[in-house]
Amino acid sequence: MPADHDKGAYPEPPRQTPAVDKQTALPNPALILSKLFYYSVDLPVTTFRDAVDSFRANNKSVYYHQKFRRVPDLIDCQEGDYICYYEAEMQWRRDYKVDQEIVKVIQERMRACHQREGASYHQNCGKEIQQFNEVTKNFQSRYGDLGAYASGRKCLMKQKERMMAAAQAQSA
Amino acid sequence: MVGMSVLRSAAAFAARLSPLKSGNNAANLLSRTIPRTDKVAVRWGHGKKLFVIKPSDYYDRRFLHLLQYYVLLTGVPVAVFVTCVNVFIGEAELVETPEDYEPEHWEYYKHPITRWIARNVYDSPVKDYEKMMAAIQIEKEKADTRLTQLEVRRHMRQKGDGPWFQRPTLDKGLIDYSPKSTPDN
Repeated sequence: MPADHDKGAYPEPPRQTPAVDKQTALPNPALILSKLFYYSVDLPVTTFRDAVDSFRANNKSVYYHQKFRRVPDLIDCQEGDYICYYEAEMQWRRDYKVDQEIVKVIQERMRACHQREGASYHQNCGKEIQQFNEVTKNFQSRYGDLGAYASGRKCLMKQKERMMAAAQAQSA
Repeated sequence: MVGMSVLRSAAAFAARLSPLKSGNNAANLLSRTIPRTDKVAVRWGHGKKLFVIKPSDYYDRRFLHLLQYYVLLTGVPVAVFVTCVNVFIGEAELVETPEDYEPEHWEYYKHPITRWIARNVYDSPVKDYEKMMAAIQIEKEKADTRLTQLEVRRHMRQKGDGPWFQRPTLDKGLIDYSPKSTPDN
């Protein structure tokens, strides 16, 4: 099961439900429904999950997150050094994927905030919205219209165009 | 003349009715009531059995049946196998890489079947990377060699002292430099 959050770091406030003070002899329908749900859905699912976990207990395996060394970029390569070009290109592609995932994470945060706040998200989610706008604007300016055959060289040329446009805007 | 009796006229009328239509037999000719078409009791219990004429669906049904058979022939064992792998072996958990441990290349994947394929079928990504770099190196060396060959050719053609553009001639030691009496000696 996905791990719950750290209860020591984020302690829940003390419960303030009043003690049960039943003054009628009629049964409590909420209690009946919750017991029904427990016995019909919760218990079978939990026992199934425990059974499956007991099967899997002998064959536990782990996986790791791969970290790549940094290699010289395209800028630091000699002209004609195709090996250096290849390594820089592979590094650029890995960075492109990482940036796409970063944008997805920021987008997920904004959507979660939207879901939580409901109709008043314009007001309460300002930080997430601003972060998302900034991240997507930067992503667009860096990787925007490179297309499906994007490469490190094309990205570098786009950066050059951006720097030229900025220099021209500054001098004009 | 009413003597041409009512019976005769009735018989003539009855003869004009078509005998094929149901309800036109002698038993109920005189005693039947006019059918009221607005108050008919409609019940679809056992309707009349009809032979519906439509084009043959034998070939379509046979095709779909065979498709289902051949898809399930391998589909069901594969589904059972994948279910057993997921139930009995289960996916891996993500942990931090411990210090001074270099994980094998298949230990970077989550699902056990992916790990098996990465371990037994595919080459490691490091090996693929090195193979690609080796190919690039070979092509680079070939291109450089071709360029230097062109350069060398140009030089040899210009200066004329390399081995490529020489033409075999007689030994220059055979030239007779002594003075001669006629030009053609």
